[in-house]
Amino acid sequence: MNTVMVESAAPAMVAGDAESDRQLVDQAKAGEPTACDALARRHRRAAYLLALQLLGNRDDAMDVTQDAMLRFFTTLKSFDATRRVQPWLFTIVRNQVRDLWRRRQRRPGDDIGESDALVGQLATPQPGPEADLQRRELKARVWRALAALPAEKREIIVLRDFHDLSYSDIAQVLGIPIGTVMSRLHGARRQLRARLEEGGRHA
Amino acid sequence: MPEPCGRTFDEALLSGYVDRALVQRDEQRVRVHLERCARCRAVVDDLRAVREATMTSTFETPRDDEWSEAPRTESSRLLVGLGWPLATAWAVILIGYALWGGWQETENLVERLLLLGGATGFGLLFFGVLLDRLKAAKTDRYREVHK
Repeated sequence: MNTVMVESAAPAMVAGDAESDRQLVDQAKAGEPTACDALARRHRRAAYLLALQLLGNRDDAMDVTQDAMLRFFTTLKSFDATRRVQPWLFTIVRNQVRDLWRRRQRRPGDDIGESDALVGQLATPQPGPEADLQRRELKARVWRALAALPAEKREIIVLRDFHDLSYSDIAQVLGIPIGTVMSRLHGARRQLRARLEEGGRHA
Repeated sequence: MPEPCGRTFDEALLSGYVDRALVQRDEQRVRVHLERCARCRAVVDDLRAVREATMTSTFETPRDDEWSEAPRTESSRLLVGLGWPLATAWAVILIGYALWGGWQETENLVERLLLLGGATGFGLLFFGVLLDRLKAAKTDRYREVHK
């Protein structure tokens, strides 16, 4: 498979990154190709991982990410550079995913379909403390249970727990009021917990 | 209405507590409750364990050279836009000139047929590729992207 492993799950954006994103967006708006390249290199992996976690399929995730990145650049001129890039890009990815579902007549309430497909994309850890069998098994169980959740539940958990987005960023990506993020997230986590317990009983 | 365990707040605050997203007053309420409620403590521990497992997961991702989402610059768009008409004009003139020149050079029927066949074949190939490119450009989602 033509892949490499990511070093960490979701490198959280720090203030310095946001500041340099702002500069890169300004330069990209001015038509600087190296700035576009730097923005793409910085954000495409996270966009791909979100698409993969929503779709569970590498090829679809790649297509959606390329489309999303393209849309990201073609709409860059209207983007307010004082806003954060990642939530905006994630909103585009989510819309592209929904467009794909619509074309395939799937609903946001559907699960991925083949729950092992997403687990199959988990990187194999290097030997060492990370290779601890129990932790690996827990991760596989969690992602299998996540894949079995309706997409709208899965996306909020993934945005918070994997991509480490703040509640306000999640509200922006999902287009919901910030006040409903916590209750919706908790509902999704409760359902995930029930799936895990159910899976544990059948294991 | 208090829950059987004595909890007087919405269960969703447990998620907010795990995410450190509560205002100080709510965080205090949750902490005090957790000190005496094993059931809610178990829920919080589960939420933390799942969050930790999710956060520390790594996935295979495509190699850098598999991506092609950099937008085309104005200059590359201009060069490609000029290149195809110029190449088409060059091919038409070259084929016409080769046919005309070759036709004048020889009286031999076989040589004339070879010349005509070769030039026609080259012309058909060139225009076939051109037509395919034009057709693909209309439906190519990545036409604005560097390939």
